[in-house]
Amino acid sequence: MPNDNQTVHVHYRMEASCLDLALEGERMCKMGDYRGGVSFFEAAMQVGTEDLQVLSAIYSQLGNAYFHLQDYSKALEFHHHDLTLTRTTGDRLGEAKASGNLGNTLKVLGRFDEAVVCCQRHLDIARELDDMVGQARAFYNFGNVFHAKGKSICWSGAEPGDFPDEVMIALKKAAEYYEANLCIVKELGDRAAQGRTYGNLGNTYYLLGNFRDAMASHEQRLLIAKEFGDRSAERRAYCNLGNACIFLGDFEKAAEHYRKALQLARQLKDLAVEAQACYSLGNTYTLLQDYERAIDYHLKHLIIAQDLNDRIGEGRACWSLGNAHTALGNHDQAMHFAEKHLELSKETGDRTGELTARM
Amino acid sequence: TPCDSQSGQPRNLRSEHFEMEPETMETKSLTEYFNKMHMDVMMGMR
Repeated sequence: MPNDNQTVHVHYRMEASCLDLALEGERMCKMGDYRGGVSFFEAAMQVGTEDLQVLSAIYSQLGNAYFHLQDYSKALEFHHHDLTLTRTTGDRLGEAKASGNLGNTLKVLGRFDEAVVCCQRHLDIARELDDMVGQARAFYNFGNVFHAKGKSICWSGAEPGDFPDEVMIALKKAAEYYEANLCIVKELGDRAAQGRTYGNLGNTYYLLGNFRDAMASHEQRLLIAKEFGDRSAERRAYCNLGNACIFLGDFEKAAEHYRKALQLARQLKDLAVEAQACYSLGNTYTLLQDYERAIDYHLKHLIIAQDLNDRIGEGRACWSLGNAHTALGNHDQAMHFAEKHLELSKETGDRTGELTARM
Repeated sequence: TPCDSQSGQPRNLRSEHFEMEPETMETKSLTEYFNKMHMDVMMGMR
């Protein structure tokens, strides 16, 4: 039988080992290696711990790692474990954080009503604890849930600002929550949070058909992204500004924004977003009736789509190239791309694309 | 190119692709917890 000292020693070793493994998991996640992080957190759980705060942090970080890896059912499982644990121990701040993470995960899974319940719990506890940062974050999450809900109900086919009432109500709620968040983060002087909110608020105004306010929000987002030297955020802002300019009929300005987005996508070596910027530029030059340039960008888009084995992207590029060549009277080229588009539409099961191609 | 009947602009040329900002996930830092625990032990030893 081990004596008391030995038992304490075994416990100390076990705790140290679990915490060591979890700390390594945390370090790896911070470096962006979420798979590695998950392995260490899983190993830490295997060792086990009697320290419930450590266990809560492991559940929470495992949930976040799976969220980044886009394994949302696993993320849901661990954030749920964390919520149950923090409720059992009466850790109110921990419960608020678990609710926030669970809400974000439920939103991604399209379970909006459950997500709203989590956001409300996050907000209620933050208010109870007089935690302004927590309240601001809950408002931001609320905004994201209502924005996603609005988009999920009706998106394709309808024009921004002209959606069914249910969509417009959800989008207006999203805007209200983002505005409530902005009031707090401005007071707190949190520029990074302001940047994120301006970006999403701009997109919400865009969907509501309020393009002037969308432009103003995205300009603020761009300004803050530049302050932080955050090139990904800068690229996002240019892309969104380009979209708003198209709706305002300012195609030259839209092309200018999309060109900047393209330049940043290349600097960031992100092929998928480079392809998107080329596609947007191709469409913008079509609107400007500069078909030669449109062809140039649609060809660039086509090459990247082929590299990425993105058959839907390839189909879109071919369809656009067919139209641009038709406009220039290059009938052979137009026919070549139309045939290619038909072939790709059949392959991807795109019935609308197939019908358009046959026209 | 299919056109919007009201504006005369090609509807499909407007972008349906807009860029959302990332979600903000809450974090429970083990490093902070470890440092605090370490500090508490050191204070207890004084």
